[in-house]
Amino acid sequence: MDEKPKAVLVVGGGIAGIQAALDLGDMGIKVHLVERRPSIGGRMAQLDKTFPTNDCSICILAPKLADCFRHPNITLHTLSEVKEVKGQMGDFSVKLRKYARFVKEKECVNCGECTAKCPVKVPDEFDMGLRNRKAIYPYYLQGVPAVMTIDRENCLYFTKGVCRICEKFCTREAIDFEQKDTDVTLQVGAIIVATGFDPYDPSGISQYGYKRYSNVTISLEYERLICASGPTGGRLLRPSDNKPAEKIAFVQCVGSRDFKNNPYCSSVCCMHATKEAMLAHEHDPKVKSYIFYMDLRAAGKGFQEYVARGEREYNISYIRGRVAKITEDHDKRPTVWYEETQSSKTKKMTVDLAVLATSLMPRRDVKELAKALGVELDEYSFFKTDPLNPLDTTRPGIFVCGCCREPTDIPESVAQASGAAERAAETVMR
Amino acid sequence: MTLQKNFEPDILGFLCNWCSYAGADLAGVSRFQYPPNIRIIRVMCSARVDPTIVLEVFIRGLDGVMVLGCHLGTCHYMTGNYYMERRMKMAKNVLKKVGLSPERLLVDWVSAAEGERFATLVREFTEKVKKLGPLGQETDLKLEQLKTRLTAAKDALAQQRIRWLVGRERELVEDKNVFGEKVSQEEFDELMFQTIEKEFAKRRILLSIEEEALSVREIAQKVGASPRDVLRNMVSLERDGLVSVVGIEGNSPKYRRAGGS
Amino acid sequence: MNEVRVGVFVCHCGTNIGGFLDVPELAKYALSLPHVVFSKDNRYTCSEAGLTEIKSAIAEKKLNRVVVASCTPRTHEPLFRSTCKEAGLNPYLFQFVNIRDQCSWVHMQDRERATEKAKALIRMGAARAVLLEPLEEIEVEVSPCALVIGGGIAGMTCALSLANRGFEVKLVEKEDRLGGTLNNLYKLYPTHEEASRLVQVKTKEVEKNPKLEVLTSSEVKEVEGFVGNYDVTVRQGGKDRLFKAGVIIVATGAETLKPVGMYGYDGEKVVTQLELERMLKEGRVNADKIVMIQCVGSRNEKRAYCSKVCCLTALKNAVLIKETNPDAQVFVLYRDMVTQGTKYEDYYGKARETGITFIKYLPERQPVVENGSVRVYDELLGEELILPYDLVVLSTPMVAHEDSRDLAQKLKVPVDENGFFLEAHVKLRPVDFATDGIYVCGCGHWPANVDESVFQAYGAASRASIPISVGRVKTEPLIPLVNEDGCSGCGLCELTCPFKAIQVEVTEKGRKAKVVAASCKGCGACGAGCPQMAITMQHFTDKQLIAQVIPLAEVIP
Repeated sequence: MDEKPKAVLVVGGGIAGIQAALDLGDMGIKVHLVERRPSIGGRMAQLDKTFPTNDCSICILAPKLADCFRHPNITLHTLSEVKEVKGQMGDFSVKLRKYARFVKEKECVNCGECTAKCPVKVPDEFDMGLRNRKAIYPYYLQGVPAVMTIDRENCLYFTKGVCRICEKFCTREAIDFEQKDTDVTLQVGAIIVATGFDPYDPSGISQYGYKRYSNVTISLEYERLICASGPTGGRLLRPSDNKPAEKIAFVQCVGSRDFKNNPYCSSVCCMHATKEAMLAHEHDPKVKSYIFYMDLRAAGKGFQEYVARGEREYNISYIRGRVAKITEDHDKRPTVWYEETQSSKTKKMTVDLAVLATSLMPRRDVKELAKALGVELDEYSFFKTDPLNPLDTTRPGIFVCGCCREPTDIPESVAQASGAAERAAETVMR
Repeated sequence: MTLQKNFEPDILGFLCNWCSYAGADLAGVSRFQYPPNIRIIRVMCSARVDPTIVLEVFIRGLDGVMVLGCHLGTCHYMTGNYYMERRMKMAKNVLKKVGLSPERLLVDWVSAAEGERFATLVREFTEKVKKLGPLGQETDLKLEQLKTRLTAAKDALAQQRIRWLVGRERELVEDKNVFGEKVSQEEFDELMFQTIEKEFAKRRILLSIEEEALSVREIAQKVGASPRDVLRNMVSLERDGLVSVVGIEGNSPKYRRAGGS
Repeated sequence: MNEVRVGVFVCHCGTNIGGFLDVPELAKYALSLPHVVFSKDNRYTCSEAGLTEIKSAIAEKKLNRVVVASCTPRTHEPLFRSTCKEAGLNPYLFQFVNIRDQCSWVHMQDRERATEKAKALIRMGAARAVLLEPLEEIEVEVSPCALVIGGGIAGMTCALSLANRGFEVKLVEKEDRLGGTLNNLYKLYPTHEEASRLVQVKTKEVEKNPKLEVLTSSEVKEVEGFVGNYDVTVRQGGKDRLFKAGVIIVATGAETLKPVGMYGYDGEKVVTQLELERMLKEGRVNADKIVMIQCVGSRNEKRAYCSKVCCLTALKNAVLIKETNPDAQVFVLYRDMVTQGTKYEDYYGKARETGITFIKYLPERQPVVENGSVRVYDELLGEELILPYDLVVLSTPMVAHEDSRDLAQKLKVPVDENGFFLEAHVKLRPVDFATDGIYVCGCGHWPANVDESVFQAYGAASRASIPISVGRVKTEPLIPLVNEDGCSGCGLCELTCPFKAIQVEVTEKGRKAKVVAASCKGCGACGAGCPQMAITMQHFTDKQLIAQVIPLAEVIP
């Protein structure tokens, strides 16, 4: 065929979306990489280290972010969402809504003058609400594109018609309050969905005390606490009093393998809890961690050895038993009540910090996206695939990879992403 | 060396593109402050840093060197940092032989996310070198003597025997040699340090007879070794064609450095 | 010899640099340096205006080296290199000096010393710039065809995908037919699809595809070359055939451990799951009391890993038994039930509903298979149980093929301590080898379920298709130059390089190191260790590095 292959749309700029985009771009196929956040990077950018190598997450991600940004075949559409998909495999017409950033991407050099002057403080989403950001802000320091964004929902100009101090201090004239949301139509031959996951919010499991007890956190919050570029500079401090946490309880399967919430297994929590416990010990050798689990799932390459190392060298104890509830003492130390299955006894343990390994769930508005794409979701709202065509959705020409397909770890997401790229390439090069 | 008040050390850092250099950049982005004594030279991998280059830095009179790579196991080029670590071990050893504190050479690991750690490392190293004083403060050598010794050290590290040995360290200590034998780390270190000592001694001798012809006794006095050790090394140097006899004074031959290196 | 003419551009970066250092002073200082014929300070060197100034200066002042002192090369070097290229200057004659991220931003309280340091940095940069040489990117042609080793589900999927995309593919299979492990399986979890049907469907597709050549009863004998240019010798029926391949994909699968000497294994009353599959297929399961034991020969001292697929395999076989014989008593003795994700956790739930009994045992108290019954300490009950049996089924791990190490050596790729092929990076490059142009997928990499093998196969196909789509491979010219007169052929460089990018070959001058440019990453590990110091690392030569070693005393006399 002499016709030039059509472009491919990749929805989602996390590690899976990025990998798919890079593979396709390297093959010579044009890619539109759409990301709803102000920059690409996804969940992987929020992690401190990754198992089983304990590589620094952002360090291995950053080169890929730069590659995406500079790639001649990849067009980044950040702060954008897919609204509608018409057509069929080989010939899709996609309506993309590009939200206004109110900052000119070509002019902004990320100097930070505007952020310093902005008077508004709101919880920082990237840091899981553990610290504040301004209304004009970088989504995260190593983010790509490396530019600021104005949060119109909290910016004083958009809410009250005043301020605009950022504009006054910007020496590049990069701030533009007149920008508008625009809709563009993209013609693509195939689509890859890589929209990732949201962590389950366990406030509904009231007996665990999340949001009521300050020293009960969820895994992603812990990741930001332990991360060198996070709100505490990597020092593991109890949210209640900023004192070091020396005894930590990791509660597994919170919301997972649970008929009342999510019956499925989130795949990665046994491993990330081990990793998190290891990191705590690395930062402070006095730390002792307890992981309360049901079945230990460490089946990937090097995973079993990783867990064994955790027990041997990082002061981690694995206790088989489901945690029934968590209470708090007068010093705000969480007490974990559990049934130890080996002894069939009910026990309790008071710790400094409790970390809940919550389910990996499809993104909150996944149903909307599925509707816009015209694809089916399974009973858990993950994108439906079939085991023998594991990367195909129910609509021909639309493929899926990563955690929006099924909770999985980074190596599998990356392999799936390359796989989805291949499926898309097969489609557009027909 | 005179003790200088308000001595500000002159420090050079070799940082690898993927990890430590990125970490240093992050320190900047995050505005972590550190003293301006350090200047950074970028390399793609810390393994690029030939130990002779580190010696050259000291020959030029700088007071401290930092070589920072990726954390072990995370090298962008898989194994580079392991080679760097081993080569720097040689460099530290030879610095000791020269009489300098091996602490003037810092080898450490900084990831691209460790901006604060980088700044802390620089602060601490700058303090340490400040306390050590200007290069050579810890010896009682004159500047010229120190430079000569450092040159001998650099030449020693350029010798193939040492480079061959260190390059095969991983294989010998972790795998086996052709006879199926493994060498313990202690045995290897012992062998390496002995080899360095020998090469260093030889190189000092060679430098001492670069410009003038000297007898064994005169050489021994100049380099501060025993005549017996000098003679032994002289035999080896003669055999390698690196020295030649250019005259006799009384009963003692006078040696001079010959061509070749 | 042309005169070296250096132009230096110092950036204010708004107030990021200008607010903390005396930038005009730096531009003035630069002009005083050897070979610097032009200097300028810019507000934003990376802006359109700044870039235009660089290009104009190159033309007007006949600059043949450009130095920009601004932010960091990690973000902006490519931009300035392109700019030089646009102005007709070789991009490798460009030098970056970091005076923001590593100077102005970290010495905000000491303008004088920060400026002093910046002067030194600029002097260092200019000194290196003078010694830079023009370099050209290296391009290597790629043979537009792929070789897939292994004709199981992974190999077939990969080969088909590449063939569907229009590439020539050779699929080499050791056995006399395609299908691999699937040929030994009965039904697949979680759908209970028949393995033989899947093999039939895939084999038909493979045979129909005009771009795909299948070589059964064939083995790879020898592999020479590098990415884009592999010469592979395949032996088929005693005859050798030579193929050219641009890329190679390893999909050789794995074996199942035979638990010889464990739990009374005899292949009749005490069998493996694989043997049970065959029995189920042939309708030969006459047992009413079945006891399955998990983690036999794995998760122990000798073999630490969890083989991932055994829990699901046991569940599936147990369910199949229950389907044909609902009154059968089936016990599964396990340590941890590994059924991750949505579909597999679901499957576990359904399996429980069929009435299978699960007994958790401790690794310290292994079950004992005696004559007619199995003794096991039930961890959850806290009691020892005696389970009478007609059939004991042992779930053993997948292990690497005996000849995986052999193939690994032929391809010059690594295996891990268990004999499974070792990928370039466990997290971000799961289907690539560190050696360019070779990829891996399926159980040869690590025990995998069918869906995993399939998406890994597509993944490997994607990665492999990149060099063959583009038709050529480009490498940055940061590669070593070997001084053959100095080289003694000792081979230390070859030992040092993890990418097989420098290898000792026999030449007329004797054994000499030769650089495989297409595979070289430019790290310099070989050069810094060469016993003869016979290797020059281009663009990071010893001279260029040493030129930057300038004591502060020289900058501020």
